[in-house]
Amino acid sequence: MGIKIVPRHGKSLKDKLYIPAIVGGMKTTFSHFKKNLGDVSNLKTQQYPEVQPTDITDRYRGVHRLTKWDDGSEKCVACYMCATACPAQCIFIDAEERFDGVAEKRPKQFKIDLLECVFCGYCVEACPCDAIRMDTGIFSFTAPKREDFVVDKDRLMSHERSKDFDDE
Amino acid sequence: MSTVSIVIIIVNILLAKILAVGTTPIMVWWERRVAGLMQDRTGPNRCDIAGIRLGGLIQAIADMLKLVFKEDFTPAHIKEKFLYTIAPALVFLCSFMTFAVIPFADTLTIDGESYMMQAIPTTLGIMWFLAFAGLSVFGIILGGYSSENKYGLLGGIRASAQVISYEAAMALSIISVLLTYGSINLADMVNAQTGVIFGFIPAWGIFMQPLAALIFVVTAFAETNRTPFDIAEGESEIVAGYHTEYSAMRFGLFQVGEYAAMSASSAIIVTLFLGGYHLPWLDTQTIQSNINYVILAIVIILPIKAYFLNKWMNKNYNWLDVNDKRQREKNILIKGFWGITIIVMAILIMFLITGLGSNGVNIATAVIQIGTFIAKFFFMNFVFIWIRWTLLRFRYDQLQMLGWKVLIPLAILNIVITAIFVVATGS
Repeated sequence: MGIKIVPRHGKSLKDKLYIPAIVGGMKTTFSHFKKNLGDVSNLKTQQYPEVQPTDITDRYRGVHRLTKWDDGSEKCVACYMCATACPAQCIFIDAEERFDGVAEKRPKQFKIDLLECVFCGYCVEACPCDAIRMDTGIFSFTAPKREDFVVDKDRLMSHERSKDFDDE
Repeated sequence: MSTVSIVIIIVNILLAKILAVGTTPIMVWWERRVAGLMQDRTGPNRCDIAGIRLGGLIQAIADMLKLVFKEDFTPAHIKEKFLYTIAPALVFLCSFMTFAVIPFADTLTIDGESYMMQAIPTTLGIMWFLAFAGLSVFGIILGGYSSENKYGLLGGIRASAQVISYEAAMALSIISVLLTYGSINLADMVNAQTGVIFGFIPAWGIFMQPLAALIFVVTAFAETNRTPFDIAEGESEIVAGYHTEYSAMRFGLFQVGEYAAMSASSAIIVTLFLGGYHLPWLDTQTIQSNINYVILAIVIILPIKAYFLNKWMNKNYNWLDVNDKRQREKNILIKGFWGITIIVMAILIMFLITGLGSNGVNIATAVIQIGTFIAKFFFMNFVFIWIRWTLLRFRYDQLQMLGWKVLIPLAILNIVITAIFVVATGS
């Protein structure tokens, strides 16, 4: 094991004068200012509503969706596992009997209060049927009224997997 | 009083008012946009009135409206309501009054009568500045003290610790400047900065007294409570310092006072060290005797500037959504700028053809000098903003160390050298 001697800065006359360091810093900021003022396309920011982000990964937890069988009926069996796992208690399910032989129960109503939801993804982990997922890629959900943030079964089933993500 | 003198007084007061207070939205806009551009982001650029956003200037107006219409809330625990109310007004008033003695142009002569181009025609000059600069810190201390809030009090204490650190060095640095110019009247000081030294360098204060200029600029930063000396506000350490308990337009008044102080310091620095209203190498007599050439130069330079502005806007002024109402703005602005350019050129060419009387020459010279002063003033304000987004905040013991152990000895050394030089050369 050799000894690495770390040089101490701030003792030399140049450091104590402050001025060279200040001039150097001002040069850096001004070069950025000049570059960006001359050509605004150098900026790192995106003009958001016009330019949408393209770097959302497959693991991003967006607004939920309820997955469907090929015939368009819900996979959910209304087992309440997601509602039980939910730390924010924002999932409200009403169960009813299902007669088409796919499962014994189905949700009559499946509501998620997105204002309460913390987007932790525990409902997705808890689901035994792969019926709820958060892979829509919807990162911004806005509405004019509080009540509009309680999304119902139809809305959740209308969400699809984000087109930006790879196929499964 | 004749009509002419009343008009000149009104113009002077308006100039002082506009430069001190009216530039605040522009400074706020610059602060945000320059900060953004220095950090590779845009800064606020979307706020608009019917599609006109002037590069984000409208945002400052929106913020001002917000502050005006907010609830003016006074916390119940505040006992000294009078001091609490008077504090922001004091800060604002002191910064604003400093502008009263700044000369915007050389003494204007109309029909044999001469007028000082200052808001208050006094020869007190630099004494007036020192008095009001020293007073403005009382507003901050009072605000912090009467808030009855520990962060406010800490801010007030820091402000008083700061003021004893820099005030002495500031006054001492000014003394060597006074020795050089031999007057306390700011207009005399500016007129002393005409001519050249070493054959080609303009005899500005910054070249005659570089050390005094450096010390004065550093202390001026401390005086305006801006980074790197914004320890009284210290938003990352003591919430918001002295204005923690203030809201709505009282807070707004502190904010305007800060920018007015910045503008006042810029104006004083320009007057003392950057040649004031003088164009480099051209003093008042030279401009007056060669007024036609000066106007011709402006007529030639103006369309070139407008052309480059036009080119820059065509390159950088494209809204991404073509159907957005903001898309129209570029054409309106380009037409507006060209219109102003053509009108100004037409007026100037008319002057060239018809010729100006002696009064006209004097007024034209004053207008050119006011323009020069405003250009330098905005440049200095840019330096303030530039420094703010480059440097970090000093700790206040570091500021005291800098003030007492570095700046004061240097200022005294500078006085001694200047005095010896002045006595030896007998000038």
